[in-house]
Amino acid sequence: MRVNIFKYSSVGKKQIVAITGLMLVGFILVHLGGNFMLFGGPEKFNGYAEDLHRLGPILWAARAILLVAVSVHITLTFSLYLENRNARGTPYAVYADFGNTTFAKRTMILTGGLIFFFVVTHLSDFTFASKTGPRTVIPGVNGDASLGLFGLVWMSFLRPWRVVLYIGAVCMLGMHLSHGIQSFLQTLGINHSQWTPYIERVSNLIGVLVALGYSMIPLYVVIRHLTVGVGV
Amino acid sequence: MAKTISLTLKVWRQKGPNEPGRFETYEARNISTDASFLEMLDIVNKELTLQGKEPIAFDHDCREGICGSCGAVVNGHAHGHERETTLCQLHMRKFRDGDVLVIEPWRSRVFPVIKDLIVDRSALDRIIASGGYISVRTGQAPDAHALPVSKEHADAAFEAAQCIGCGACVAACPNGSAMLFVAAKVSHLSLLPQGRPERWRRVQKMVRQMDAEGFGACSNHYECEAACPKGIRVANIARLNREHLLAAFRARLFGEYPDIKVLPPSV
Repeated sequence: MRVNIFKYSSVGKKQIVAITGLMLVGFILVHLGGNFMLFGGPEKFNGYAEDLHRLGPILWAARAILLVAVSVHITLTFSLYLENRNARGTPYAVYADFGNTTFAKRTMILTGGLIFFFVVTHLSDFTFASKTGPRTVIPGVNGDASLGLFGLVWMSFLRPWRVVLYIGAVCMLGMHLSHGIQSFLQTLGINHSQWTPYIERVSNLIGVLVALGYSMIPLYVVIRHLTVGVGV
Repeated sequence: MAKTISLTLKVWRQKGPNEPGRFETYEARNISTDASFLEMLDIVNKELTLQGKEPIAFDHDCREGICGSCGAVVNGHAHGHERETTLCQLHMRKFRDGDVLVIEPWRSRVFPVIKDLIVDRSALDRIIASGGYISVRTGQAPDAHALPVSKEHADAAFEAAQCIGCGACVAACPNGSAMLFVAAKVSHLSLLPQGRPERWRRVQKMVRQMDAEGFGACSNHYECEAACPKGIRVANIARLNREHLLAAFRARLFGEYPDIKVLPPSV
């Protein structure tokens, strides 16, 4: 039996998953930074969005790269997941872990899948939604004129179920990253007797910070709306 | 006089590879706490034999924790709950009177049950045959100081070389992956000068064989490290990943494709 050396091995697949995962982490951090522009008010936030759109072909190239990264990341992890499930055969009557595995590690495929479905709804809610339509108007603010993407985000988060969905999704994302980031380093061969314990903590910390950072967006909208209002 | 305990055992009984298996319950009475786990099974087997019943089949050889023959999953833990201990070195003083123990073979599609607790681990042998060796002409042993080896590399290679190939890493891994085993062999050989010439092709060949056998892939749960009776660390898996990545780059850049022939999995 001969092997096609161009067919990826399990290790090769994981390394591609790790690299595409890191690209997506990069996007998540940049996107979080962009979201924080919301705190600057409608002009700042919409201005940032317009600046991004002014990039034109560069923006579309970045989107294309992200789409490829997402597709590859999901396809390969799913194929690995199926292979892994198949490897056990007869299940254990009793299986007990030694405590090295964690809830976040065991649910990577689940959190990953849920994040994907959230991203689909997120894209249709914001990225591809009309930036001038009735959903962008905050009643009683700006003379009932459209507030663009800012208005869209603001009005969306005044619906409690959206806040719950969003915070739930970003918590999944944080959990996924807490294992994903440390896993990335191990899979590409970086493990150090002294640094790795800290890397693991930093990875968990990044997961928590990403979840908290994104959660601040809907919470800011809700709290601000209930207290001082939009302020324009 | 030694303390004794009595236990209830739920043992996986399976007549052959293609027979259905099931759990049978046995009482292990008045077991000395100085007995090892395998000695406890010996005592139970003696009683079963006297009753005219088929004794529980289990693998064992050295009974001093260095051969890698024994192993079973006890209450969900490969080699039992005690860290860095093979089943033969697990003593009954680690259990309490009245404990109920569920004893199962390693569960892996790649390790078919031969009988009861004995599984066929020849897949690990085929991984070794695929590249886990160094090609040298045999002859006189060279002088110990003929080849310089740094202390760091010698220590790391020695740590990896402690792998006894018992398969507990596969049994404990939620994905049924053999990465810790393969990583230990790759590390132990590639860290030493004798293993360097075949370094790049070795990692590729062994990984391909591992995949062909049908083991799962590592997703960094690190349960293997905790279950390993020799305490082989997952840093070795990182080294395997690193070697594999470098080997893949070298293959693409310099066209250094090893002639990989995968041995047919026998099962």
